[in-house]
Amino acid sequence: MSNWPNQATVDATVVSGNPEQSITSEILTIDPALIAEARRSTRVDVAQTGFNPALGRLPTIETQGYSLNTVLDFVPSWTARRIPMKCIGLTLPDGMEFMPPKLDSTTSDGTQLRKIAPPKPETSEPVDPDKPRKATRIKPPADALSLQDRLFYLLQPPLESWLAGQELIMPFEPFAYQYEGIAWLFASQAALLADEMGLGKTMQTITAIRLLLRSGQAKRIVLICPKPLIPNWQREFKTWAEELPVVTVEGNGPRRRMLWTMPGIPVLLANYELMARDIAEIPDDEQPKFDLLVLDEAQRIKNRDSRTAEVARSIRRRRSWALTGTPIENRPEELGALFEFMEVIPKAASPDLRQLSKLARKYILRRTKDLVMKDMPPRIDRDAELELTDAQELAYRTAEKEGVVQLNDLGDSITVQHVFELVLRLKQITNYDPLTGESAKLERLMADMEEIAASGGKAILFSQWTKTIDWLEPHLKEFNPLIYHGGVPTKQREPILARFKAEPDKHILLMSYGTGAVGLNLQFAGYVFLYDRWWNPAIEDQAINRAHRIGVKNPVIVTRFICKNTIEERIDRVLREKRELFQAILGDGDNENVTLSMNASEIFGLFDLKARHKDGSKSIGPKSVKAVSDAA
Amino acid sequence: MSGAAKTDPLRLGFMETMEVEGRGHIGGLLITNQNGRPLEFQCTTPVKPNRTQEILFGETLRPWLLGELIGCTLLDRVAIKPSLIVTSNLHLLELRNHTHIPVACTNDARTKIAEQGGTLRIGGNILRFHEAHGVDAELLSKQKHLLPDSADLAEPLERVREALAETIKTVFAR
Repeated sequence: MSNWPNQATVDATVVSGNPEQSITSEILTIDPALIAEARRSTRVDVAQTGFNPALGRLPTIETQGYSLNTVLDFVPSWTARRIPMKCIGLTLPDGMEFMPPKLDSTTSDGTQLRKIAPPKPETSEPVDPDKPRKATRIKPPADALSLQDRLFYLLQPPLESWLAGQELIMPFEPFAYQYEGIAWLFASQAALLADEMGLGKTMQTITAIRLLLRSGQAKRIVLICPKPLIPNWQREFKTWAEELPVVTVEGNGPRRRMLWTMPGIPVLLANYELMARDIAEIPDDEQPKFDLLVLDEAQRIKNRDSRTAEVARSIRRRRSWALTGTPIENRPEELGALFEFMEVIPKAASPDLRQLSKLARKYILRRTKDLVMKDMPPRIDRDAELELTDAQELAYRTAEKEGVVQLNDLGDSITVQHVFELVLRLKQITNYDPLTGESAKLERLMADMEEIAASGGKAILFSQWTKTIDWLEPHLKEFNPLIYHGGVPTKQREPILARFKAEPDKHILLMSYGTGAVGLNLQFAGYVFLYDRWWNPAIEDQAINRAHRIGVKNPVIVTRFICKNTIEERIDRVLREKRELFQAILGDGDNENVTLSMNASEIFGLFDLKARHKDGSKSIGPKSVKAVSDAA
Repeated sequence: MSGAAKTDPLRLGFMETMEVEGRGHIGGLLITNQNGRPLEFQCTTPVKPNRTQEILFGETLRPWLLGELIGCTLLDRVAIKPSLIVTSNLHLLELRNHTHIPVACTNDARTKIAEQGGTLRIGGNILRFHEAHGVDAELLSKQKHLLPDSADLAEPLERVREALAETIKTVFAR
């Protein structure tokens, strides 16, 4: 029989070391009815084993106390704090803000503004995501070391989107290689753009200048070019960057000095002669400082000791660009002069061929037409080998014989100048016989011109001598010739070119190499005649490329007049021998312009002469064509 | 004499992040004008979450790290505040919860994602906005005319990535 208590009392006194923390006891009272009911329902009959009294004893309850203010230290503490980080910042220059375009196309003085961009369609085509987009990115130059400098270039937008009518209106879409050239120039402190003539060095330079000004990289730029090219640059600036204020250095001394030193002129245009004269006269403390100095036809400073080269190097500037289609005309050392101007070699340094080649890869950008203008109509060269007329033959042989005798008589006092004079005299006779006026070249020219004029074509003729050009003019009356040479005043030259382009009956333009060989755009002429040969094929190429350049739609036929068995043939062969000599410097495949003009010993050699030494002289005489040929 | 009131020019922000092996993430923000010409650039030093953060943040780790932590820092730092922030990283849309400036994600146009609610087409890009801020698409569509039709909003992001790569190469690789 179980022995359940009637009332159970639980002492829940907390036992702890600190009596003050004890809590009072609590009495739990259980309803007796519930106990009785429990007894009834749990009654169990058990055998009398003696254990039952033990079962009736109340269990002993032990208690354990806990302090409620104990810190739970097994949970790691953590709050979502910000992780510290630093920032690297770059604020880009805001750049020169151009005037917003005027709504009215008439200026305050009533002049009608010229629209240089084609009108934009009302709704331009959205970008086709499938169409690969052309993007020429500006790469940081190799010599930009700081992160800020490198990021500046990396963060610029692709040239195509920068130029495509958003902020900088372009009258024509540049070619891909031109975009590359612009990007390269833009990022270069020192650059020699040596693209072959006709590939658009002018346009690339103007656009790069425009971007420099636009991005705040430059505020004051000076461009030096040969005097005859000033109008050409003015015109090109107007075409490619109409909004740029271009000021030409001209006028009297005080005015020119004011222009040189006046701040706030973004682009200053000057010729080499004025540069050499004016800069030298400005005191040191008033010397102008430019953000960029550009030398066009930079071969003008190939002689590093010349006054022009010295003055060009003395101009204070941050960037130095040189432009030339013929970085080497005569000797590889000429490149050294250009590199010295660009300040990439020490003063008066003479890098060897290996060093020049290394520098060229870094600082020269040169593309040839063969490389970039695969779709350009070809230039067809043909050498017209002509027999002298009888009168010319007689005059030529007589002059040669007498000339050589005279040279021999000079003995040790002979100089290259003496030989040179004889060469010139003989070359003039191959152009026409001064006594009779007979000319094999003229006969051939007339025949060709009749065909050209009949088809409405236009031709450019180059000669070394203004005298020859003046002599030709009356003979070519039926083709309405125009004359463009050094004897024509500068101001009259531009209208002559405009007439030649605009008037259909003007079929031939007679030009001298010196005046017409560089910088002019005459790609509407499909024929070029080289009436006589220049000393340097690079100059001839420059002349030919007046017509064979970007924009040309038809092949350009180049005719070189060479009179057989004459000095012309000999000169031609000597020059051809030298074409391959310096290809290593400017790279393979560049066989157009890496040519050398003739040096003194080669001019002596034309008559089998040798430059005189102390050990005496040798007998001389005209060298046969066969001998020259065999030697070649 | 005061001039006529001038409309605020549209400034665009382009934000990208990049993981630097073993060093965490860095972020860059490029501010341009409406034609994409750069005005300001900021980038962060690398930020690496610890193991606890990785466990406790779970799936929200990247939005927190990239959007809130890096994004907010960059946005606080730039002096020129953009009118719109463009990114190609969906996690960066989280930034929108911490700024009043609309944040848009460029979908890869080549996937031809159909234009739908909460998206906006500009040029060749379809922009996606934070789902809790669908009104951003409407707001931006009113300013759409300020951008050229030929605008490619994905292109500047490529510049930011290149700049970040250059920064890693130049600064953090030392």
